[in-house]
Amino acid sequence: MAEFGVVTPSVKVAGGKLPTATGKPLSVVALRKTYGDVVAVDEASMEIAAGEFVTFLGASGSGKTTTLMMIAGFCEPDSGTITVGDRDVTRLAPQKRGLGFVFQQYLLFPHMTVSENVAFPLTLRGVPKDEIRRRVGETLEIAGLSGFGGRKPRELSGGQQQRVALCRALVYRPPVILMDEPLGALDKKLRDQLQIEIKAIQQELGLTVVYVTHDQEEALVLSDRIAVMRNGLIEQFDTPRELFERPRTPFVADFLGAANFLPGRVLQNTDEHTVVRLDQSGGLLTARRHELASGTSVKVAVQPGRLRACAPDDGFCTGTVETATYVGTLVRAGVRIDGGDAPLLRLEVPAGRGPVTGERVGVTVDPEDVNLFPVEQGG
Amino acid sequence: MAATLTANAPARPRKLLASRRTRVGILYALPVVVYLLVLFVYPILSTLFLSLKNTDGSLTLHWYVDALTGINLSVLLTTVRISAETALFSLVFGFVLANAISRLKPLWAGVAMLIVVVPHFISALVRTYGWIILLGDKGLVNDTLAKLWVPGAPFQLLYNEIGVVIGTTSVMLPYTVLLLYSVMRGVDRRLLAAAASMGAGRVTIFRRVYLPLVAPGLASAGLLSFILSLGYYITPALMGGPDQTMIASLINQQVMKQNQWNGAAAEGVVLLLLTFAGLLLVKVVTSFGASRKKRSAS
Repeated sequence: MAEFGVVTPSVKVAGGKLPTATGKPLSVVALRKTYGDVVAVDEASMEIAAGEFVTFLGASGSGKTTTLMMIAGFCEPDSGTITVGDRDVTRLAPQKRGLGFVFQQYLLFPHMTVSENVAFPLTLRGVPKDEIRRRVGETLEIAGLSGFGGRKPRELSGGQQQRVALCRALVYRPPVILMDEPLGALDKKLRDQLQIEIKAIQQELGLTVVYVTHDQEEALVLSDRIAVMRNGLIEQFDTPRELFERPRTPFVADFLGAANFLPGRVLQNTDEHTVVRLDQSGGLLTARRHELASGTSVKVAVQPGRLRACAPDDGFCTGTVETATYVGTLVRAGVRIDGGDAPLLRLEVPAGRGPVTGERVGVTVDPEDVNLFPVEQGG
Repeated sequence: MAATLTANAPARPRKLLASRRTRVGILYALPVVVYLLVLFVYPILSTLFLSLKNTDGSLTLHWYVDALTGINLSVLLTTVRISAETALFSLVFGFVLANAISRLKPLWAGVAMLIVVVPHFISALVRTYGWIILLGDKGLVNDTLAKLWVPGAPFQLLYNEIGVVIGTTSVMLPYTVLLLYSVMRGVDRRLLAAAASMGAGRVTIFRRVYLPLVAPGLASAGLLSFILSLGYYITPALMGGPDQTMIASLINQQVMKQNQWNGAAAEGVVLLLLTFAGLLLVKVVTSFGASRKKRSAS
């Protein structure tokens, strides 16, 4: 098994610190994959820093899993390069890449105990027996699985099995751990709990993680940066806050912030603001300054949580509250705007002083919270 | 499918009959019980009595002494040897075939399985004569070998142990392929991918992941072909020589030629005990493997 020693010289290093802290553990350049006429992944590029938690977020068919599989080596890209540390691994078999992988279906070896499962990658690398025992013990303890070492995987719950799978992927300190919807098969409560655990372990050990999910909340909880993917393209690769507050495309605004969209036209620009006249109500809405010429058709995107109810005619539009749903700390309201048949404007306002069904309200928003997207002519 | 052969019955709690459900269950089981008693237990018991009965009606063990001494003992040993060889070869070829088939797309796998299994529907007699034609001095196999200037050709492939083992292996192959195929199909291929993702090479994946996962299937397939070979009659009788006389032929001779039912019954019981011994062996081996694993884990 000497070849593996060459591939991952890090495994012989004792202790929890990541040996590849210098240089980018993973970079992907212009990765492209097609299946027949369908472009699964188009020109995906990114650099991932050591200790960073990066998530590919997108609906099914967005190319997020394909990208991950190409990084793992289970699927070969048509073009582009994948670099792990200083090595070009684009055309290498999965076993020669030295990465870790956590699968959605756990995929623990059913004929081995929990300890044997976690020890498996270490035995491949010729780690001495007593060190294997020590590291397996340490790793299981980190995941809260001490005392489960002698059990078979089928004797564990789904959540425990996935913890074992996580241990198995990190016990040999791969420079990057890839995770393909690891919590997808678990129920909501367990998912929330494991998200926190995964994040804690990742931060404690300084792991570099590339994670795939379709769950926005999960992505926001876990990630340092998120790559929002659609139709094989990375729409935006940014921190959760940037994605939320400064979405670069209407898709990102919709996918992460579930934004309201209102059609309008740029009326004028001032030093700090861009004023838009809304098509429906004719109301004026002030946004932070965008580099858009007067007369440009735009989509105004505002998240429900950033809209506020005010006195009628005080805001950028006025309407009637058609629905008001109490959801604990919030009231979700749907407002029918005067002068048009647009979809209901969705508001999320703190419960207690929330609007009531049938009430006439104005709607206002802080200019900082408004994003404008130019509408391509004819599009 | 594979597990049924080696699975042991779960431990039964006491006071079973107390539950009403159990009593109803027994009622449902009654036809099967009667069927087994009449067609299985009774014949075995009567064979057992026959094997213990002297010509004057008194109890004796001398049929067993006969069965386990002299020429009869060597026939018994030949039977075990040929059965073991058959089990080994049908396991090896069965493994290769089933492994290849389990990697095919479902449609092609279906076709391949059909090709493997269909010969089994043809009478064993016909197949055996087919082999005799193929393996004869001027048969297709020797003819081809001779044309290829293979040194030593033509080989003696009939009326010796090679012929018998070729014949019995071809008969047992469908069983082992079917058993192994179903076990291999049940192996989650993604487990192999998981092993690869951790750095395991192909040989390691095969040895440490794939093989242990199909091991129960190997045990039952090997056992099945061994047991079936033990009592196999036509092929060894037609394709073997005098040195390849197997126990089934011996029983046949005793009944048909010597009208010696008691001796035949004793041979039959010995055959049955051999079968049990085979089952026991596999059981011991698998439980030994399990306990060894347990010890190494703790």
